[in-house]
This record gives sequence, structure tokens and C-alpha cells, in this order.
Amino acid sequence: MSEFLLTQVINYGAPLLGILVFIGGLGVPLPCTALVIAAGAFARQGILPWYTTAIISIVSVVIGDSLSYSIGYYSRDKVLQRFSGTPRWQQAEQSFQKWGFLSIFFSRFLVTAIALPVNLLSGTTRFPFKQFFVYDVLGEIVWIFGYGGLGYWFGSEWELVNEFLSNFGGLVLGLLIFGFGIRQVIKWQDHIKQKKVEA
Amino acid sequence: MPLNTSSGQRALIAGIIILGILFTAFFGMRAFRAFRRFDGHRPAPPGNVEIVETDVGLIRDWMTIPFISQTYQVPPEVIFEALNISPRKDHDKSLKVLNEEYYPDQDGFVLNIVKETILAHQSPPIPDSVPTAVPPLTAPAP
Repeated sequence: MSEFLLTQVINYGAPLLGILVFIGGLGVPLPCTALVIAAGAFARQGILPWYTTAIISIVSVVIGDSLSYSIGYYSRDKVLQRFSGTPRWQQAEQSFQKWGFLSIFFSRFLVTAIALPVNLLSGTTRFPFKQFFVYDVLGEIVWIFGYGGLGYWFGSEWELVNEFLSNFGGLVLGLLIFGFGIRQVIKWQDHIKQKKVEA
Repeated sequence: MPLNTSSGQRALIAGIIILGILFTAFFGMRAFRAFRRFDGHRPAPPGNVEIVETDVGLIRDWMTIPFISQTYQVPPEVIFEALNISPRKDHDKSLKVLNEEYYPDQDGFVLNIVKETILAHQSPPIPDSVPTAVPPLTAPAP
């Protein structure tokens, strides 16, 4: 899949990259980070114009993200039918309103595996669209210029950069999952202590 | 998540922690290994267009001939001729596809021919200034 898409990006350039990152923004699992890093290298080699490629990619991916936000936004009623009023949902909603901006920003480039759930959750929890848009654009700018810039910087050795960054994203995701579990254990311990004090 | 410490909840959280540890260990090791591979690989010097590539080991079978031609500064006709393939209809095909279409019995044949053609075509590096025994011309003393 990756190799086929790389060949097509060479052939059709920035417009195709724009379409691919748009589809990726909608949640279709495509190797978009690898394509962005490779596009940086292609720009270095004079195959793609870096400025146009960056602008087209940012606009396309932000449109894709906004569409997936709107899917979450308009499916709120269905989600509420299932979870409405449950303490779990209320806690998730409150937590997302408070910390959502961080997950929106960092899931654009660092932990891209959770970008789609974050988009959907942003819409479903009615996270303000203006804020979503601002953090989305900022995150995607880091993704395109940061990751694409590394591809540009390392040129034909971009595969090394891709290998490191994709594994680093997995490492961060692992730490997040581990942190969530530990946080829950600490909460339980505090709860037990509190009960003992009350008794 | 509500503070329910039922055995099911405990098992779920234990599973999440174990999953987190497995993810961290797996991707951490891979990231570390990838980072170590950076050793000795430095970014190319700054400039608008990368200097002409000479390492044919970087050629991959997803690349097209016009792309390789531009990267290695070898005319595309030379590569197409070496492969005995028409440049008109096959310019957008990857080396892998070309191999499957024209040389299905010889795995990696196109990739090898392209590498050999580029190595044969690339001229040896020319020094910036050729040393000479003749001293440079200077203006005569007044």
C-alpha cells in the first residue's frame, strides 16, 4: 500500500497528496505520516514544490478533520441514546471540555492513531468548533512542516526518519495507555483510604 | 470511570496496564533501534535542491524511472534503453510493476539493471580546481 501510494505521489504530486491526507483526516487508515515525510524528501529533490505541497496538504487535512468532527457532532443524539446520563459519559464529557485541546493538538502529529476518535469525540461532546479548528490547524502545521521538514532535511534518507517517528508515536501511545491504568489504580487507592477514614 | 473496584474492573485495568507496558516495550525498542541507525546518517547540506545522489543502494522498487533519472541525474532514455522498454507508456510505472510486466520470471531484474546502468553512467567526481604546475598569472610589477 505504502509503496503504491509513494509511486502515485511521485506521478501526481501535491494534488494527490492533498486527497490522501484528506481521506486520512476522515479516518481511513493510510500511511499519511510516511507520505508527508517522503513528500519533504521529494521537495528536497526538486520533485515537488514544497510551498504549494505544504499549503494543499494543510488545507486538505483540516477539511478532513472538520468533516470527521461534524460526523461526531451530528451523531451526538445516537451516542446520547446509548450513554446519556451515565456517570462515565458525564466524566468523559467534562474531562474532554477541559483537556480536549491537548488531545486535539498532540493527536495531529504525535499519536496519530487516536486522531479520528479525538475528532469524533470533539464533535460528540460539543467541544467548541472554533477551538477545535485552531488546535487542529496548529497541530497539522507541526505535522506538515515538522515531519515534512525532517523529510526535507534528511532527503533521500527519509525512511530512517519515518521508521523512528512511527515507532516513537507507538511508544507515546503505550505510555498514555500505561498512565491511564496507573491513574485509575491511584484513584482506587485514594477512594479506599477515604472510606477507611470515614469508617 | 466510576470508582467501582469489582473484580471485572480490576481485571480490565490490569489488562490496560499490561497492554501499556507491552506497547511501550515493543515500540520503545523499535524506536531506540531506529534512533541508533541514525548514527552516521547526517542531513544533507542545506540548499534548494539536494545534491545529486550517488548511492544506488537507496533506489527502491516503488520508484519510477523519471524519478530516479532526476535524482541521479541520468537521462531517462539511457535507463529505458538498458531495460529495453518504451519510455512512452511506461514512464509512470514503478520498477516493481515494470519487473512484473516485462521480466516476470526474473525477480529484482529491473532494479538491478537500473542500479548497474546508473553506476555505469555516473562519471567519476571531478575536483573543483585542478592542480597545475604553472603559477597563476599576476600583474607585472610597476
